[in-house]
Amino acid sequence: MEAHQWMIHYTRQTEWIDRRGIFLWIAFYAGGLGGGLYLVSLYFNSLWGMLISWLIIAVIKGGTHLVYLGKPLRFWRIITRPQTSWLARGFIFVMLFVFFGAIQMALTYWLPGSTAEIVFKVMAGIMAFSVALYTGIILKNIKGVPFWNSTLLPVLFIFCGLLGGFGLAVVIALNGGDINLAAAETGSRWLLLANVLLIGIYLWQASAKENTSKQSVLEQLRGHSAPIFWIGIVLLGIVIPLGIALAGLIMNHMSSIVLVTGVACEIIGGLALRYVVLKAGAYKPLVAKPQ
Amino acid sequence: MRWGMVVDLSKCVRCYACLAACRIEHFLPMGINWPRLVALETGGDSPTVSTYSVRCNQCKDAPCVEVCPTGATTRREDGVVTVDQDKCVGCRYCVVACPYQNRTFLSKDKDQGFFPGRVVTDFEKAGKKLYKHQIGTTEKCNFCAERIDAGLAKGLKPGIDREATPACVNTCPARALTFGDLDDPNSEVSRLIREKKGFQLHPEYNTDPSVYFIDGKIGQSDEPKVDDKADKEPEAIGVGE
Repeated sequence: MEAHQWMIHYTRQTEWIDRRGIFLWIAFYAGGLGGGLYLVSLYFNSLWGMLISWLIIAVIKGGTHLVYLGKPLRFWRIITRPQTSWLARGFIFVMLFVFFGAIQMALTYWLPGSTAEIVFKVMAGIMAFSVALYTGIILKNIKGVPFWNSTLLPVLFIFCGLLGGFGLAVVIALNGGDINLAAAETGSRWLLLANVLLIGIYLWQASAKENTSKQSVLEQLRGHSAPIFWIGIVLLGIVIPLGIALAGLIMNHMSSIVLVTGVACEIIGGLALRYVVLKAGAYKPLVAKPQ
Repeated sequence: MRWGMVVDLSKCVRCYACLAACRIEHFLPMGINWPRLVALETGGDSPTVSTYSVRCNQCKDAPCVEVCPTGATTRREDGVVTVDQDKCVGCRYCVVACPYQNRTFLSKDKDQGFFPGRVVTDFEKAGKKLYKHQIGTTEKCNFCAERIDAGLAKGLKPGIDREATPACVNTCPARALTFGDLDDPNSEVSRLIREKKGFQLHPEYNTDPSVYFIDGKIGQSDEPKVDDKADKEPEAIGVGE
């Protein structure tokens, strides 16, 4: 590539995926996964699930996002300015979730069924939903990257988080946790189908919108990101879990190893989805090249 | 008052003096440039090279200001968008949000010195004292706001008096850059935009840039652009991989 050639071609964003951007990718996925698992755990009233989701958000999501910042010690500047942007609100959602979630788990353990427990469950649930949602809104608000600039993206991220949440719920159930295995499997199947549908609609909508977002879709389907798309998202994230789900429906019983493999594939698929979405986000050429 | 710039594309001779002047003015580390020169071939069988001198557009509705979570990026009353590096947390949301890709995150590898591991020049030593660049924060062109402010304090007029005018404008030997007040209908920039049909880059983003271009074949021409061709099959991106 010659110097400045990038200004007259479609160029993908690099800051949020290349080099240290990897931390942001993990943070974005962990936010969705942790938020999704907490909501699923609320549905099953699973303390184990709540604890794991709390750890995912507090340690992995919060930690990697902080590591990504150029000046992490200044993070307090972000949390004191919720009016500025969704990034600031997102940091606040994470901190409030960590706070409400810790109190809620303590109440669930020592004072189950109390009014306070219900109140904190609701508050922590709202924050978990917000943590899973806000990363999609951050990307959606970027007008310069048409592939991201879609209302479907936050919805897709939420559903992807819930799918991961149900997957981890299956693993908790298999390990004797406080979750109904059959219900978790059923939820996982439905969410897998919903995710397949959403990914399809999202890509179709992006390719039909305009040339730059079509470029982003092509980048995934046959560009540098294609191996991650086809192997990570399609094969590991969709085909294998779907095959296991169908086999489970037909045979009425699946071994634990197969189920855990399916969940692992789902999580890799979710990671691949976030990676590809970030990697394929492209800008219009700064200057349109004439014929 | 809203400071703006007009770039006359027909006059630019691609000498890179604007980049050099900016580097000297702001003691820029080797790995970054605030202004950039975009050179591209036009004209098919008998190609000629067109050049765009681009820099932060100091947008009126700047996406970078909207997304900054710490308030480090602000738009001054005179329209100049500035970054307070003491407040910047290095989240790079502004870098990603800028549709013109005119912001740079200053990472360690972009500030290794002019002669890494060998010698620190006097110029670099002076820069460390006079114009600190903080690794881990975001940077961009600020229309030489410090020159504008100092000049105005002395009663000088930016765009007319050299001392109050951005360094790149002063140094351009072809006089391709003009600086002035966009709100003043009698200013040189307003006249040029009016008379020579000045245009902004990507007006569809509704950011209202303060940098205009004139006399270019691209953007003002009636001939179709590559992007306008409906039947063109886009290639996969991967540029610069």
